[in-house]
Amino acid sequence: MQKFHRRVFLSALILMATFAAYSPLADAQNSAITTFHVKHVIGLQAIQHNTNGQATVSKDALTFTSGPTKSDLAISGIEDVQTGADSQRIIGGTLGTLTMFAPYGSGRFLSLFRSKIDTLTIEYRDPNVGLHGAIFTLPQGQASVLKAQLVAAGAKASPVPAQEAPKQ
Amino acid sequence: MKLPSGRRAAISMSLGTLLLAGILAPSHPTALAAQSAAAPAPKPIHASALQIQLIQAEDVKLPAEFQMAMYEHVVEEVDKTHRFEHVYRDGDRDAANAPDLVTLKCTVTGFKQGSAEKRQVTTVAGKTSVTVHLVFTDKNGQTLFENGVEGKVRFLGENLRATFDFGKKVAAVVRQDFTPAKPAHKA
Repeated sequence: MQKFHRRVFLSALILMATFAAYSPLADAQNSAITTFHVKHVIGLQAIQHNTNGQATVSKDALTFTSGPTKSDLAISGIEDVQTGADSQRIIGGTLGTLTMFAPYGSGRFLSLFRSKIDTLTIEYRDPNVGLHGAIFTLPQGQASVLKAQLVAAGAKASPVPAQEAPKQ
Repeated sequence: MKLPSGRRAAISMSLGTLLLAGILAPSHPTALAAQSAAAPAPKPIHASALQIQLIQAEDVKLPAEFQMAMYEHVVEEVDKTHRFEHVYRDGDRDAANAPDLVTLKCTVTGFKQGSAEKRQVTTVAGKTSVTVHLVFTDKNGQTLFENGVEGKVRFLGENLRATFDFGKKVAAVVRQDFTPAKPAHKA
């Protein structure tokens, strides 16, 4: 009898954890994000590659801010927004490269620690109709939220084909 | 038949020399010079402007971030070569006014997405590579020349680094096959 109670308790615990992970509250928290902590990989004018900063969506522009530098991307110029998934080393940059030379293969061991990230690719046209592509990386689960905010503000985005939709 | 030890040493030495000469011969500078003399290199082309079209990947499934990163790196790296007064992007309206415009069309023919984790752990596995066919055409649509380029990341770096390598290699092709835009830009 005690065994049965323990099983019921464990099942209830698992069920609660599952609901907590997919609760509408978590979704609401994601959609309520107004400032996204992103890494600009390439593509924005006057912003260096691999710069960390904040992205915000306003009525007519996507603004990327990194310290004193700021870059605005007009929503009307956005032709497509696509999301993707990738991963990166937890210890990155120069320090990450230097760990490769750490003794006894410890650098290789450290490179096993990776975090999942989202990628956001924005295709846009400048005032001269020249094509640009801006790529950002964001914490996992935030690219789709930023994409939704851009689309709500008027950006064009091609629908994700059903067979290519990322598995959740 | 037994040879005296002195002669045996002389024969083995001459055989060794012959073998070494055989190995070195193809890479010898005079041999290379003779080969290049047989097939003269084409003259570099002069053009004031280049328009780079968006990377096409019709038969290959290429992630959007790779496609755009490749395009951006090509624009940046080709601009750094100073072979053209203007490097126009896909769709740029001003390109139509350029007198001797050359258009670069890149088509992805192969893509292998490796794994940065595998590369960092094993060093030998997990290579990411992208092979692209380049076509340079003049204003009338006539092909000037074609080339194949492979962008890859074998050891250090994340997968997108292959796009940077691709951009560098396209720039090398441009540097080799086009004359500098102005004498001041000579490398």
